[in-house]
Amino acid sequence: MRALCWNGVNDLRVETVDDPEIINPKDVILKVRLSTTCGSDLHLIDGLIPTMKAGDVLGHEFMGEIVDVGREVTSVKRGDRVVVPSFISCGQCWYCQHDLYSLCDTTHPKPELQEPLLGYPTAGIYAYSHAFGGYAGSHAEYIRVPFADTDCFVVPDGVSDENALFISDAAPTGFMGADFCNIQRGDVIAVWGCGGVGLMAQQSAMILGAERVIAIDRYPERLAQAEAFGATTLDYTQVDVVEALKELTGGRGPDACIDAVGMEAGGTGLQHAYDRVKQALYMESDRGDALRQAMLAVRKGGTLSILGVYGVMDKFPLGVLMNKGVTVRTAQQHGQAYVPRLLEHTQRGELTPAALATHRFSLEDSPTGYHMFKHKEDGCLRAVFTP
Amino acid sequence: MNTVTSETPLDAAARASVTVGRPAEDLRALWLRPDTQSRIWADFADVTAAEDGSAEWTASGPAGGEYRWRTETRQTSPTEVRWSSLEGADVANAGTLVLRPAPGDRGTELHLDVRFDPPGGVVGEAVSKLFHIVPREIVSKALYRFRALAMTGEIPTTYPQPAARHGGTDR
Repeated sequence: MRALCWNGVNDLRVETVDDPEIINPKDVILKVRLSTTCGSDLHLIDGLIPTMKAGDVLGHEFMGEIVDVGREVTSVKRGDRVVVPSFISCGQCWYCQHDLYSLCDTTHPKPELQEPLLGYPTAGIYAYSHAFGGYAGSHAEYIRVPFADTDCFVVPDGVSDENALFISDAAPTGFMGADFCNIQRGDVIAVWGCGGVGLMAQQSAMILGAERVIAIDRYPERLAQAEAFGATTLDYTQVDVVEALKELTGGRGPDACIDAVGMEAGGTGLQHAYDRVKQALYMESDRGDALRQAMLAVRKGGTLSILGVYGVMDKFPLGVLMNKGVTVRTAQQHGQAYVPRLLEHTQRGELTPAALATHRFSLEDSPTGYHMFKHKEDGCLRAVFTP
Repeated sequence: MNTVTSETPLDAAARASVTVGRPAEDLRALWLRPDTQSRIWADFADVTAAEDGSAEWTASGPAGGEYRWRTETRQTSPTEVRWSSLEGADVANAGTLVLRPAPGDRGTELHLDVRFDPPGGVVGEAVSKLFHIVPREIVSKALYRFRALAMTGEIPTTYPQPAARHGGTDR
């Protein structure tokens, strides 16, 4: 089959690789219908995350049709159109039983690579380096999906492929970030980042009853999409974000702040320059402007919900959180806990993930898609690949 | 030959624990199944186990080195399984699995302890160099695999379909 392979820093090529097959009895093979870029792929492509290997098939956000079924799969069948969260979860262990699916205790083939970094291994994830399991990704004609009964969700009629695609990752990640905020009547939620996850967090906060959602970014087309979703927008290159948020909240500050930016945050000023130099020298992997701003802006006793992907960051102002009594919630997406609900919200038109699909490419043109996505050319929010 | 004592350097001893959400008796029975032994140690050694609790082990070292030994299960109780290598082992070793109830509804704690006794010919040779794998990693991976098997009936793997092409090198 054809697949998009990583061959080294910024070296992506579409190649012919072996077709996947059923290995374990609860596996299925999916014929990929759509697969999309994610901002976190850029960390891999740029070499900010170690343990990549030449030939790694990329892609962890996808949907498709089941074409082969392992002998112990019971709840899905050949021909089903399904969406699959990016973390592989068994559904049986203590973590899965407690809806903490991305922390699954049983799906990591190489836990010894991750345990020294994190203390304990997480769930395996598709195409996210060998420290996260070394599973082959979805920018391919076919993909092997383990634990299909837990991880494959049938897409109901009335939900298009493009809507279902982002219920693999951007939508459940964003929704989880809003869920972390425990939104109460009158709450104002500020979201740093208007990429796929940030936009989904904004729409989710509205679904969960936020009084007002404030979206922060610098790209006009992304801010326009946030506005179309009903958010108030701030361009961080034009205003002092913390002051603007105080002004918009009567001096209280947002009740919760969501960081949907992560380690490649853009920014301004001296701290940003310092962070960039350290990142370039591999002294730290993260820049972190957005996170620092969110920590300062959040109201006293408020919630900081961190969805951005981080590696290591020094000069982390912990005292700001401590003295303000801030609750920090963070996780990689526990998608399996949210997907059924998100499919219903989408069916009712309350959630519109397909709005993220601004650019479409064949799999053969996926390196061009990544280039446009990375450099945000032509307002590219997400590049979607059709194998 | 070195003697395995509490003074043996840490390098030769390996200890790890996991908690598995299943009753101790189920886990003990699963542990003692011959096919379980061959599956959980697969990254470290080829193990052919028999119903009587004996097993043949072959571990590979760097540069084609191969080490063989035979073990026998010496003592078992509802809360403990012990085994050790027999005379003539290339790398003498002994292991203990202790099963303890975990608090609340968390199931059973498994504590695995394996001690290696490198042979006289390579006195001072680190076990990690002998096997090209750190002893602590040997036991913690075996326990991870055992928990996966106990909870799901499967062991997570990408073999023979890794994300990278075969022999893909780290970048």
